[in-house]
Amino acid sequence: MASDDEQSESRRPQDTKFKQQRLPAWQPVLTATNVLPFMFAIGLAFIPLGVAFLITSNQVQEIMVDYTHCKSQDDPSLTCAEYLANSNNTGGSCFCEVTFTLPTNFTAPVFIYYSLTNYYQNHRRYVKSRDNDQLRGKKISSSDCQDPFLKVENYSGTGRDYTYAPCGAIANSFFNDTLKIYLNDSEVKLLNTGIAWSTDRSTKYKNPPGDDFAKAFNNTLKPRNWQKPVYDLDPSNVHNTGYENEDLMVWMRTAALPTFRKLYRRVDTSNGFQGSLPAGNYTLRVTYQYPTVQFNGGKRMVISTVSWLGGKNPFLGIAYLVVGSLCIVIGFVFLIIHLKIGKSASTLSSEISSRTPY
Amino acid sequence: MSVIVRMPDGTIKLMIKGADTVIYDRLEGDQPFKDITIQHLTDFANLGLRTLCVAVTTIAPDFYDDWKELYFRASTSIQNREKKLEEAAELIERNLQLLGATAIEDRLQDGVIETISNLAKAEIKTWILTGDKQETAVNIGYSCKLFTQSMVLLIINETDIDSTRECLTRHVNEFGEHLRKENEVGLVIDGQTLNFALSYDCCQDFLDVAMSCKGVICCRVSPLQKTEIVNLIRYRVHAISLAIGDGANDVGMIQAAHVGVGISGVEGLQAACASDYSIAQFQYLNKLLFVHGAWSYHRLTKLILYSFYKNICLHLIEFWFAILSGFSGQVLFERWTLGFYNVLFTAAPPFALGLFDRWCSAEAMLRFPVLYKSSQNSEFFNIRIFWLWCLNSVFHSILLFWLVVLALEQDVAFEDGKIGDYLFLGNMVYTYVIVVVCIKAGFEMNAWTWVCHVAIWGSIVFWFVFFTVYCHLWPTIDQAPEMVGMDVNVFGCGIFWIGLFLIPLTTLLRDVMWKVLHRIMFKSIHEEVQELEMKHEDPAKMVIKATRKRLTETARLLKNVFTRSTNRMQEVQSEMQPRGYAFSQEEHGVVLQSELIRAYDTTVEKPEGL
Repeated sequence: MASDDEQSESRRPQDTKFKQQRLPAWQPVLTATNVLPFMFAIGLAFIPLGVAFLITSNQVQEIMVDYTHCKSQDDPSLTCAEYLANSNNTGGSCFCEVTFTLPTNFTAPVFIYYSLTNYYQNHRRYVKSRDNDQLRGKKISSSDCQDPFLKVENYSGTGRDYTYAPCGAIANSFFNDTLKIYLNDSEVKLLNTGIAWSTDRSTKYKNPPGDDFAKAFNNTLKPRNWQKPVYDLDPSNVHNTGYENEDLMVWMRTAALPTFRKLYRRVDTSNGFQGSLPAGNYTLRVTYQYPTVQFNGGKRMVISTVSWLGGKNPFLGIAYLVVGSLCIVIGFVFLIIHLKIGKSASTLSSEISSRTPY
Repeated sequence: MSVIVRMPDGTIKLMIKGADTVIYDRLEGDQPFKDITIQHLTDFANLGLRTLCVAVTTIAPDFYDDWKELYFRASTSIQNREKKLEEAAELIERNLQLLGATAIEDRLQDGVIETISNLAKAEIKTWILTGDKQETAVNIGYSCKLFTQSMVLLIINETDIDSTRECLTRHVNEFGEHLRKENEVGLVIDGQTLNFALSYDCCQDFLDVAMSCKGVICCRVSPLQKTEIVNLIRYRVHAISLAIGDGANDVGMIQAAHVGVGISGVEGLQAACASDYSIAQFQYLNKLLFVHGAWSYHRLTKLILYSFYKNICLHLIEFWFAILSGFSGQVLFERWTLGFYNVLFTAAPPFALGLFDRWCSAEAMLRFPVLYKSSQNSEFFNIRIFWLWCLNSVFHSILLFWLVVLALEQDVAFEDGKIGDYLFLGNMVYTYVIVVVCIKAGFEMNAWTWVCHVAIWGSIVFWFVFFTVYCHLWPTIDQAPEMVGMDVNVFGCGIFWIGLFLIPLTTLLRDVMWKVLHRIMFKSIHEEVQELEMKHEDPAKMVIKATRKRLTETARLLKNVFTRSTNRMQEVQSEMQPRGYAFSQEEHGVVLQSELIRAYDTTVEKPEGL
């Protein structure tokens, strides 16, 4: 009998709040009276913020120069695009010039971008066509890239496979136009470091070990569409060549949208152009090597200052303004509805007293 | 039921107990206490006691000897033994002297009456299927308030199929246009008649009559018939059926019904083992249905709708991105963040919704069973609501993706002029999705317990923590090389934080507006109860007022119509009004009454104490 009692004791479910569904709870009741103050508060907070963001964005100066169809300097009857389209000139370069004007002084820091249109860097097969271990310098040959960007079999009859360094479609399509800016024939000094993500520089991209670069990249080939091999990317700066070239890093960071821009250079405002890029007539000299016309892609150069929000984009400011005004409108609508309908409901329930006949 | 004894002085006496109607028929002439005993019986019946009359008569010895032989022959006859025994009993149970009446309190379980009346308030039709005699069953029906004194009782007791059919057709015609509506009528039918009524040609008529009655009692039904009746309701009427029983003879019907409830206890555990839910007392059905049943329904609907919503929201974004990526199939998010969406980051809110959400407080649900109605009508889960949620999901995904794309359109996202990539966009979108989806779960909950807080805010925080850790895995662990540096850059981007305030708010603005407008314009009864409870006012008046409206004018009129036309029937009824319970001896029971009597040695004094 005693054991039965014990057993029946232990089978009884515990009488805790958790197990008996009696947890204390806050009941969020969304009535007009509760929501009204929030709507007004949000509206009143968002509108000044929207104005602030809009002002910030408008203070950013930006100018875009399209040079897709610029005329070749050697043969003015041809555009550089047509020059490259000619099969004799594949892999060659064409020089062209475009003039543009800066309407105001561009206050430092000023950045130079190149922008491509109709260029789907976010295509699935393109995005996965890279080898991160190779770029980290861990191995020379690769297995992650897909043909035809992987290797050349039986290179020059040597009987061995030579891998492309770096392999993959992203690397192969590396942007290789050179852009220089001149103000009245004096070149604006541009810096090509400090343009890639610091984490890329520290973790993702490393040259294969060894002092002699050319030897480290033995038995590899430059990618098919490149003019020079990877270890010659920046001969002047040993920290910016090979895989650690920042232009390469920036290019390898595949863009999200088909119209994108990538950071090309920073304007060096330490000497000469202190504090700003002055207003005036400028010339853009392009070493045009990158063919985009065959897929209707456009090439532009963008000069832009930045704010703490980034580039020139009024969207956030406008969005805050719109949402803030919407909230205030909704607040007023709720107020009116609450005063009209809400009042009538509460008077109805208060009219029921003990003498109301059932 | 009688017993013949020989007294110590040699006289033979017959002592009999039975229902008052039976005993009074056999009394000898005029007795001094007949009328006063009837008065007593009525009083006992009003108190709800089970009554019996006790009578005695003396039998002459030679008459007894003759009868003894007759009785012996009857009890050993091979054919018609029961009939012959009855005839023999008839012969000797005559000219009785009334001794008096007894009344026994044979109470129903606690809370049965309240439970049945609550079921009626919740518009759940209750039928009693019992193996007892008709009088007992009807008495129980009155005592548990399934039948009220103002109701008309239809009693169907036929012996063959033709008369059954005729009787049912007659009742159907009497109902006329009130067929299958709410009427103050009760039906009593016994097992033999049920055999015929459930046959193919009478089935529909029987159903029509039964559905027009407020309560139905089927007496003398066998377990198989119980199952048949439940199947009839289930498949012909397409109503959701619940069967509750406590004995082995109820197992069939418990299993046939949609929901089978077994009462574990006195009669054993067969019913409890065969059931979907087993409870200890009948009154627990209240809480099972009105609290846990209703809560379960609401939790499940929210869970299902929410699960579809959160998945559509995230994965539709892939489609929007495909528009921008040439439909090449590139995924906007990193592979494992996507994989862990349902497992880690949005797993907790469905749990909180499905286990702890409380649509209405337990006290209110128990006090006002009418609130249960909303879970009976598919009010919360039907095709329209499902597609509205899907539409909402599409709307959210559009806002979540395109607003971010517009914010990052010119790529430059940082103060040092640097640009992001597709995964940078993807991680921002993903964070906003998790925030929106978790807060949306919060809006759908009616009761925010600490579990809900943990589920919602904990999920969001967990994503931030996971994101930070995950981006530092490569190259130590060969996983997610494309995520390296994402956390530093996403959290260091002003656009991200500004968007974190703007975009979830914009996305959920419509949901909030809808809820508030819905509450103002189409306030449902439970929302009113909720608000009154929060103000610490008693919702009783409001509920009564709201439910009174339910009895429409037509219903009120037809109530009067019915009582007028069947008044004659009612008068007949009142004559036969049973005074108290008919204590039915379970004939052919396991233990015979005669054996039971002889088990006790009546010469020994009863022990004291108990």
